[in-house]
Amino acid sequence: MHELSLATDVINLVTEEAKKNGVSLVREILIEVGDLSGVEADAFQWALELLIKETILKDAEVRLLRTPGTGFCKACEREFEMRNRLDICPRCGSFPSEIRGGQEFRVVSMTGE
Amino acid sequence: MCETCGCGKPDEFKIHDHNHDHSHEHEHDGHWHSHPHDHAHPPKKVIALNLDILSENNRLAERNRGYFEAKEVLCLNLVSSPGSGKTSILEKTIQALIPSRRIFVIEGDQQTARDADRIEKSGAPAIQINTGSGCHLDANMVHLALKKLEVENHSILFIENVGNLVCPALFDLGEKKRVVVISVTEGDDKPLKYPYMFQSADLCIINKTDLLPYVDFSVESAKNYAKQLNPKLEFILMSAKTGEGMPLWFDWLGKQS
Repeated sequence: MHELSLATDVINLVTEEAKKNGVSLVREILIEVGDLSGVEADAFQWALELLIKETILKDAEVRLLRTPGTGFCKACEREFEMRNRLDICPRCGSFPSEIRGGQEFRVVSMTGE
Repeated sequence: MCETCGCGKPDEFKIHDHNHDHSHEHEHDGHWHSHPHDHAHPPKKVIALNLDILSENNRLAERNRGYFEAKEVLCLNLVSSPGSGKTSILEKTIQALIPSRRIFVIEGDQQTARDADRIEKSGAPAIQINTGSGCHLDANMVHLALKKLEVENHSILFIENVGNLVCPALFDLGEKKRVVVISVTEGDDKPLKYPYMFQSADLCIINKTDLLPYVDFSVESAKNYAKQLNPKLEFILMSAKTGEGMPLWFDWLGKQS
């Protein structure tokens, strides 16, 4: 359940940015969660929606942008969709592949007034 | 009620991104009337942030790392599932090395100071962090513990993380190396089940080798699975109980500092 502490980090980050930008009410936050980021997106969203209740994010819609995993096969020099870190290249069966996408975990934007 | 003029009809005008003039009709004290009004809604702003959520932890971890480098302290983060023998390995390590090396320990557990008590008895100053409901240590907890522990220059600092192969993987504490411990009483497919941890580790200790004759654990399979995830991972086979592998571990420690 590290998702709970990550949700707390998000609230701290967004609250600080809201202050810096003169935002008193956050209407929406957009968070990118890669499928290979090590964060369970559903648990994270649940934790965040639970924790924002007493904050300036209380009316915010939490939107998650899911990024699929992308692997790069060094043998065929092409990218493929990687569902887990141990996937072999679907074309030539090579392993291991370089992870090129899906490890993102970041606050993309907030909308407020 | 109408938030615009306060006359009892639901406000039809929702949030807008701009200032505007508008009028509307609605019933008021039994009669219909229309009236215009000007008002300004607060502008809605979209603010691009692009902030890595782990950035604050990573920043604090780098601060810890700078502290260790300045003091020439070798800091190691020990991670494993519960019961793999981390504390026993530390007890034996402290007993063997304490005459020549200063050793300090930060112990992370959800509850109790039992592990810190065990470490203190074996001869090293230790501080216990209880995470309560938390499932991992983070860089700030380590930073706060360091203020109390007063780690000496040129020493070794072991951080024994909460027994959990999932959550601690994401949190850099500022360590120089990460050591993952598995024991032969666990499945040899542990690396496949917890890939994040094995990918982020530098050394894998396979502990309780004295029990190998009694269990189905294949050392070869465990190593192969872990190497698939992390080709650079080093391995030490160990029995903290019999002392097997301890000299290799001490050599490895010597090479790090």
